[in-house]
Amino acid sequence: MPPAIHPIDLVDILRRHRLTPAIIFLTSRRGCDEAIDTFIHSTAGVSATRSKDIRVFLEQFAKDFPSIENHPLIPVVQDYGVAAHHAGHLPSWKMAIEELMRQGLLDAVFATTTLAAGVDFPARTVVISQSSVRKSQDFSDLTVSEIQQLAGRGGRRGKDFVGFVVVTPSPYIDLHVLGKGLTGQPESIDSQFVVSYPMVLNLLKAHTLDQIEGLLAKSFAQFQLNQRAAIHQERLNELHEQLKPYGPRECADWVAQWKVFDLARRRKAHRRPVVNTDSPYLTACLPFLTPGRLIGLAKGPAIILRQYRSRGTGTPMLSVLHTKGTIGECQAQRVMHIYDHVYEFHPIRTLPWCPPSTLHHFKQVLSQLPSRLPTVPIFEASQEADDPLLTEILTDQFACPTCPSHAACKKDFTSASRLQLKAQQVSKTIQALLDGLWHQFQRKADVLHKFGYLTANLQLTDEGEWGRLIRINHSLLITELIRMDAFSGMAPELLAGVMASIAHDDDRPSNYMRLTPGLASMLTQVRQVADSLSLYEPAPLLRSDVAAIAERWIGQTELSWTSLVRSTSMAEGDVYRLLARTLEFLSQIYGLKGTHPSLADTAHQAMVNMRREVLAELP
Amino acid sequence: MNDDDLQRELVSLPIKYLHQLAKGRIHRHFRLGKRRLIDCILALPSAQKMAIANDLQQISSVPKKSTTGSNRAQPHSPFYPQPSSPKKSHTSESTSPPIVLQDLLEGIGVPEPTAFIPDNWQREAVEAIAQSDVIVSAPTGSGKTFVATEAIKQAMASKQTVIYTSPLKALSNTKYMEFSEYFGKDTVGILTGDRRDNAQAPLLIMTTEILRNILYDATSGDLDLRLHTLGLVILDESQYLADPERGVVWEETLILCPTETRLLLLSASIGNPQELAEWLTSIRPNTSCHLIRHTKRSVPLRSLYLHPTGQLVPLLENRDIQQRKGYRFHPETKRLFNEYEFKPYH
Repeated sequence: MPPAIHPIDLVDILRRHRLTPAIIFLTSRRGCDEAIDTFIHSTAGVSATRSKDIRVFLEQFAKDFPSIENHPLIPVVQDYGVAAHHAGHLPSWKMAIEELMRQGLLDAVFATTTLAAGVDFPARTVVISQSSVRKSQDFSDLTVSEIQQLAGRGGRRGKDFVGFVVVTPSPYIDLHVLGKGLTGQPESIDSQFVVSYPMVLNLLKAHTLDQIEGLLAKSFAQFQLNQRAAIHQERLNELHEQLKPYGPRECADWVAQWKVFDLARRRKAHRRPVVNTDSPYLTACLPFLTPGRLIGLAKGPAIILRQYRSRGTGTPMLSVLHTKGTIGECQAQRVMHIYDHVYEFHPIRTLPWCPPSTLHHFKQVLSQLPSRLPTVPIFEASQEADDPLLTEILTDQFACPTCPSHAACKKDFTSASRLQLKAQQVSKTIQALLDGLWHQFQRKADVLHKFGYLTANLQLTDEGEWGRLIRINHSLLITELIRMDAFSGMAPELLAGVMASIAHDDDRPSNYMRLTPGLASMLTQVRQVADSLSLYEPAPLLRSDVAAIAERWIGQTELSWTSLVRSTSMAEGDVYRLLARTLEFLSQIYGLKGTHPSLADTAHQAMVNMRREVLAELP
Repeated sequence: MNDDDLQRELVSLPIKYLHQLAKGRIHRHFRLGKRRLIDCILALPSAQKMAIANDLQQISSVPKKSTTGSNRAQPHSPFYPQPSSPKKSHTSESTSPPIVLQDLLEGIGVPEPTAFIPDNWQREAVEAIAQSDVIVSAPTGSGKTFVATEAIKQAMASKQTVIYTSPLKALSNTKYMEFSEYFGKDTVGILTGDRRDNAQAPLLIMTTEILRNILYDATSGDLDLRLHTLGLVILDESQYLADPERGVVWEETLILCPTETRLLLLSASIGNPQELAEWLTSIRPNTSCHLIRHTKRSVPLRSLYLHPTGQLVPLLENRDIQQRKGYRFHPETKRLFNEYEFKPYH
C-alpha cells in the first residue's frame, strides 16, 4: 500500500525542512515507479545547475555503462532530482543512482525494502511508511533488525550532524511495530545449517567419516543445538534428582514392573460386560424372544414382531401383536410363557413391523389358537466367577499382589511413572539434538549411494568425482540429467534455456512466450525427471517462460537487450538476474570440462553468447 | 445533556480530568480505572450529573478549541489524487505547535570536512585483528569499512593475501570499485563464477559462495589459489549466516577456513554476537575471537511523524532515538495517528 501522503507533497515537505536527501521506503516496486511517475509535469523540479550536474554525471557514467544511456527514467531524474531504486532495475542503473545519491545530487530515492539488505547508500532522512513486508505468500511484520537496517541509512557520517527517520502512515501500518523496531534490541541470529548433496560429496572427497563428524560438530548449528541440549540436560538431571526417592525396591525396576501388572489388572477388569442389569432369568429368555415367537402375556397369547432395548434404561422390550389384533409394546420381563412355536415372516423396520398380509395372517392364527401349547424350557446359566482364576494367573507372573512394598508402589506409581516418562522424553530429545546433523548427513549419503555417486563404504565413485563440482541448488537433478545424457549434442541455447528454468526460483508472474518445439519437449523431460527425484530433492519451478527468454537471448546473438526486454512482461532487473544466475549454473557445467568435454564446450559457447551488452558490463 | 452524550464526552477525556471531576463526588475515585470511573459517574444522581456536565464544558473548552482550529485548515477530502499547493500546507503548519519541531530540527546541516579520526572501537578492532579473529557488530553506516581497509593494509604490508567476501554480486562490484580506487587497480581482483579479473592480486573480492568453493577444492587437494599465503578473510554482512537459504554457506566457509588465517566478520547489529564469538573461539583452536560490539550510532538519529495532511510532529517523546530503553510516542503523534486510523486519508 502506498503512503497516504502524495509523493510530491512528501518530497516537498522534506525539502522545505531541509530533510533531503532522503530514502523513501515503499512496499512494492510498482509503488516506487508510480511515485516517480507522479512527478512528471509537476512543478517540483530542481534548480538548473543541479539538473546540469546530474546530466553531466549520467553522461559520464554512461561511458562505462552504455546500458543506461537511453534509460527512460533519465529525464525525471534530471528534472526533479528523484529516482526509484528497486530490484526491477538493471544493476548499472542502480549503481548510477547510488553514486548520484552519494554525491548528494538527488533529493529523494523511492526504494523497496529489499534495498536495506543490499547495497548501502546513506541519506540524511529515511522515510518509512509500512510496518510489514511481503514474505513469500504472506505479509509479516518487519523485524527489529530489518527496521534498524532501514533506519540505519539515515544520517551520513561526515556529512550530517543528525539523521532522521520519518514515519508516515499508509493503510495497515502499525506504529508500535516501528516504535519497537527503532528502539529495541535486534533479534538473535540462528543457524540455518542444512546438509546438501554437494556438501556430502565434497566433504567425503577430502575427509574421513570421523573427520566429517568432527566438522559437522564444529558448525554453528551444532553449537546452538548443544546449548539447547545443555538446557535439556539440566532438566534431565533435575528429573533424575526427583526420581531418586523412587529408587529400587523389591524389584530393581519396580515402576516398569508395576506398570505391566497394572495393565494386566486393567485388562482383566475389562472382561466383564460393561453394564448389564438384566436378571439371569431374563438373560436366558432373551435368545428365545425373537420376532415371530408365540408368547403368553397376562392378557393372553401374542406374537412378537420385534425385540429392542428401550432408549433410556436399556430394558429389553418387545413389540407384540395381541389377540385383539392391536399392536403394542411390553417389557420382556412381563412375558409369562414362551411357547415352542415360531412363525416365519419377513420383518420390516417401520410400524406394523411386518407386511400387511403377514399381519392379517397372524390375526387369523391368534384367533384360532388351541388352549394348550407346549412351552420352551428355560435354563438359567450359573454366573461363572472368573476373577479368582485370573488373580491366580497374575500371581504366577507377578510378585506384586503379595509383595511387601505393594502399598508403596501403588501409591507412588503415578508420580514416579510420570517423572520417568518425562525423563525418557528429555533424554530422547537430547539425543536427537546431538545426533541430528550427523543423521541428516547419513540420510543424504544414503541417497547418494542409492544413485551411485558413492560406494557402499562411502567412497566417491567416478560419478561422484565430477558430481561434486556441481555446487548449486538442484544439484541432484542436474547431475542426474547429465548422467542420462539428456544434454548430449544439445544446442547451446537449449542448454541455457533448461538451466534458466532450473535456476529461476522466483514465482513473480510474467507473460507466456512461444516455446520452440525442441525446448518444450526438453522441458517436459526435465520435469519428469524432477518429479521422479522429488522425494530426494524438492523440484524446481521449471518455468517455461524464463527458459524461452534465455533461449532467445543465447540463440539470437543479434537480438538487442531492449527488444528482449520488450518481448516479456518481466522487469529488466529480473531478466538480468535470471540471465546472471543462468550464467552461474552454466559456469558450473563448464567446470566439468575434464570429464564431459563436449557438454562443457556447449556450456562455454552459451556463456560466450550470453555475455554481451548489459551482461558484459559487470564482472 | 443526556447520559449517552455525557458518556461519549467522558470517554474522550484523559483520565486526569475524570479524576478532577470525580473529586469529592465519588468515594476513593483514585482507585478506579477509566471505565469504572465513567460507570460510577453515570450512576450518580441526576443533579450531580448536571454539575459534572457543567464542569466538563469548562474543562473541554480549552483543548477543543485548538483541534477545531486545525481541523479547518486540514482538508479531510481524499488527498492523494491532487497534491496540495505548498502554500496551503504552509498555513496548516503555522497552526501546528512550532516549539517542538524547532528543537527537533535544529542542527541539520553539513559538518565542516575534518580529518577522519577513527573511533575507539574502530581502533580497538584494528588492533585486535593483528592478534586474533574479530567480529564487529555495529549499526549500519558506523564505519565498518574503515576497519576492513585498515585490516587489509596491515595484511598486505606483511605480504599476505586477503579475501573479501560479500553476500551479493552487486555489493562485490561496489566494493571492487571502491577498493580499486583506494588501493590501486593492480592490487584488487574480483572472482565470480565464470570470470576472474586480476586473480593474482593480493586483495580478492568475491561472493561467499565462491570462497566456499575454493575452500572445498583446497581441502580436496586440487588447490588453485594461494591459500598458504592467505592471511585474512573478511566476511561482510555476516548476519547472512541466518539466511534461510544461503546461511549454510557462511558456516561452511567459517568451518573450512584454515586456522592460520585471521577472520574478520563484519555484521550489522545482531542480538547475539557474543554467541557467535563463543562459537568461533570454540572451533578455531589457535586463536580466540575478539568481539567488538558497538551499538551507538556515530550520527544521532531522530524520529518524526509526518501526517498525511502535511503536519510534521515528533514521533517519540525523546528527541534522539535511544536503543533498548523502551519508547513512548509523542502525544501529538498519538492524536494525529488516531485521527488517521479513524478516517484514513486515501
